[in-house]
Amino acid sequence: MVPLLEIVGLGYAYPDGTAALQDVSLAIASGDRVALLGPTGSGKSTLLQHANGLLQPADGTVVVDGIPIQDDTVRDVRRKVGLVFQDPNDQLFLPTLLEDVAFGPLNNGHSVVEAETLAVAMLSELGLAGARHRAAHHLSGGERRLAALATVLVSRPLLLALDEPTGDLDARSRRRLVHLLRQRPETLLVATHDLELARAVCGRGVVLHEGRVVTDAPLGDLLTDRDLLERYGLAADLSD
Amino acid sequence: MAHIPDGFLSAPVIIGTAVASAGTLALAAHRSRRRHEEREALVLGAATAFVFAAQMLNFPLGAGTSAHLLGGVLVGAVVGPWSGMLVMFAVLLVQALLFQDGGISALGANTLNVAVIGVGVGFCVYRWLLALWGDGVRRRVTAASVAAFVSTGLVGVAVAIELALSGTVPFTPAVVAVGGGHLVVGVAEAVLTGAILGMLMRSRPELVTAAAPSSGMRRWAVGTVVVSAALAVSAAYLASAKPDALEAAASYLGLGASGPVSRSAPFAEYTTPLGGPWFAALIGVVVVFAVIWIVVKLNRAGRRP
Amino acid sequence: MSFHHLDQYATVASPVTRMPPTARLIAVLVLAVGAAALPLGAWRQLGVLFALVALLATVARLPAKLMLVRMTGPLGFVFLASVGLLVLVPGDPLVRVGFLQVSDAGLLRFGSVLGRAIVALGAAVVLVTTTSFPELLHALREIRLPKVVTTALGLAYRLLYILVDEVERLQRAARSRNAGAGSARRRRVLVGVAAAGLARTFARGERTHRAMLARGYRGDLPTLSEQRWDRRSVVALVTLVTLVGVTTVSAYVGR
Repeated sequence: MVPLLEIVGLGYAYPDGTAALQDVSLAIASGDRVALLGPTGSGKSTLLQHANGLLQPADGTVVVDGIPIQDDTVRDVRRKVGLVFQDPNDQLFLPTLLEDVAFGPLNNGHSVVEAETLAVAMLSELGLAGARHRAAHHLSGGERRLAALATVLVSRPLLLALDEPTGDLDARSRRRLVHLLRQRPETLLVATHDLELARAVCGRGVVLHEGRVVTDAPLGDLLTDRDLLERYGLAADLSD
Repeated sequence: MAHIPDGFLSAPVIIGTAVASAGTLALAAHRSRRRHEEREALVLGAATAFVFAAQMLNFPLGAGTSAHLLGGVLVGAVVGPWSGMLVMFAVLLVQALLFQDGGISALGANTLNVAVIGVGVGFCVYRWLLALWGDGVRRRVTAASVAAFVSTGLVGVAVAIELALSGTVPFTPAVVAVGGGHLVVGVAEAVLTGAILGMLMRSRPELVTAAAPSSGMRRWAVGTVVVSAALAVSAAYLASAKPDALEAAASYLGLGASGPVSRSAPFAEYTTPLGGPWFAALIGVVVVFAVIWIVVKLNRAGRRP
Repeated sequence: MSFHHLDQYATVASPVTRMPPTARLIAVLVLAVGAAALPLGAWRQLGVLFALVALLATVARLPAKLMLVRMTGPLGFVFLASVGLLVLVPGDPLVRVGFLQVSDAGLLRFGSVLGRAIVALGAAVVLVTTTSFPELLHALREIRLPKVVTTALGLAYRLLYILVDEVERLQRAARSRNAGAGSARRRRVLVGVAAAGLARTFARGERTHRAMLARGYRGDLPTLSEQRWDRRSVVALVTLVTLVGVTTVSAYVGR
């Protein structure tokens, strides 16, 4: 079976010449739930932006659902891969939540009526229907995170790519998010350094270090390997 | 009083300034699109948000006084003159509609003053000085400061002219009160514009991207200096040799007429029926389009390799 | 920083809020321009327009106190700016106060300016208190303002809130480091805050642009329509516009 996302020999350097990704290869099958682990600056966000075609590979290939990412396919790929940014404020840029959520469907050719119906349904699904005429700055941090998720889920992506989804959430909002992610049918690629989130949501872990994949293993094995966690600065334990 | 409230302007001035502003903005929308292409919406949105926020910051000037930034020249230097005009218009629009800062009926006049003249002329002065001096961080900061001062002063003069044309205040007291006030504000604007631009050029130079002036532009700038100096000298000579010549020309054009009151207030013909102010409004429109023409020229000269 | 009343619109349902926002905007624009375009001394016409604004405010169920509070600030500014007219405009002297004299022409202008300003401001306050920012944006789009301006405003709305948050944070940080510094020092700090604010807003804009691309943005911001034009709104708007037009024109014809 063709993997949903297949990355082969991907390399990318920032405009200033620093290598961000080097020879990264990764395959994600439909239904997989993958945690992308690594400290800040290890290249997680850069990798997610490649999966969605926001960045195009300098070396290697990225293939989504059988379609290699190129200039002429990038729009199709973006419909298949939903990318949720680290800061929800980047993603909620319109005056009301409803407009923000309808933005994707409208761009993808839905009529105004359809887009609005889809957006309302999506907001209801996440329990935000009551806030649809509000602006994002009048929401709580947790609601804002859910709203950012809604703007992406509404287009029914096959793969959901999340960048640090629990970044600034309080305990209760974090629990709510974890609960939601466990229920979602989408294939997941979650970049995070929140190991608890990874354990709760994902089955497989990929460790990225200085732009290279250093481990790709079932998450259970990975999280019990103290040596590995220490070596790549993933251990959350502050006691020693 | 950079923002004229409702009630101060007469119908001809309201209509004339609105037409001039609308025409310029239509052109600006076209040019701005060409400059920023698909990034335009975000560049303009960010600049608009910045101007709004900057106008809320009160900078202490010492001796218990403070001022806020108007931002026209700064925004022009960062996003270009055409986009700068659109940004200032967006700000004025919301201020008039939601904050009652500047009148709804005076929106055309305020746009003409703050967006078209403030940004357009300010940017011309900025580019012109750069063309004379050459490029560099210090030179840009100085050019922007001078441009901010000149542009703020001109906004004051424009306000005074509009008030006089409306027959609300005679020209001389208007220009003394409003123009004088703007010169004071202009000093603060010059200091703040230079300081912020300087800091920006050190921390994020890529944001201030206007191309370095070319040699063709330099010739153009020097040429304008020579021509305007020649004009000034001959005008001074004419004025001293034949004191009545200018007045005669003015009355021939139907501007000045006679009498002691109108000499001090050449535009304040509020006793004449519609013809007077309408004619003056027409001249205003012509002047605006002349300014636009110069901006286009400068912009084009700047782009030539 | 006082921009939070951008969102404090009256949630009171009224015949005015049932009209589409575009109709509200046009009504207010016409009233404000109609009043401002009156010639000097058109007291009767000013009275008619004032009555129309008062009627509009009543139909919108706006309490008189709210109207007055909202109008006080801008009106105070108009008063200060126009009080000079009393003595600056030459004419037949009416009253002498010290070396200043109030002329009849000055009084005429002072009264006219104030009257026109009151009507226009009243109309504007009715608009602000019945219309939310998104509704206003929609109305501006519908009256065919250049798309780039409405788009920029729509994006600036969210960016402004985020930016103000960041500026306040920067300011707090700067203040905790420079408690009690002189005004020159404080000015330098604020210049730093402003420059950083500008840089951050553009960086935020860049990230937002990427978020838009990720959701299929093609360079045109699509919008939801909230078209609610019904026959009653159209009739009401046309009536109002005609009334204002006739009133304003009558001030010129009748002389």
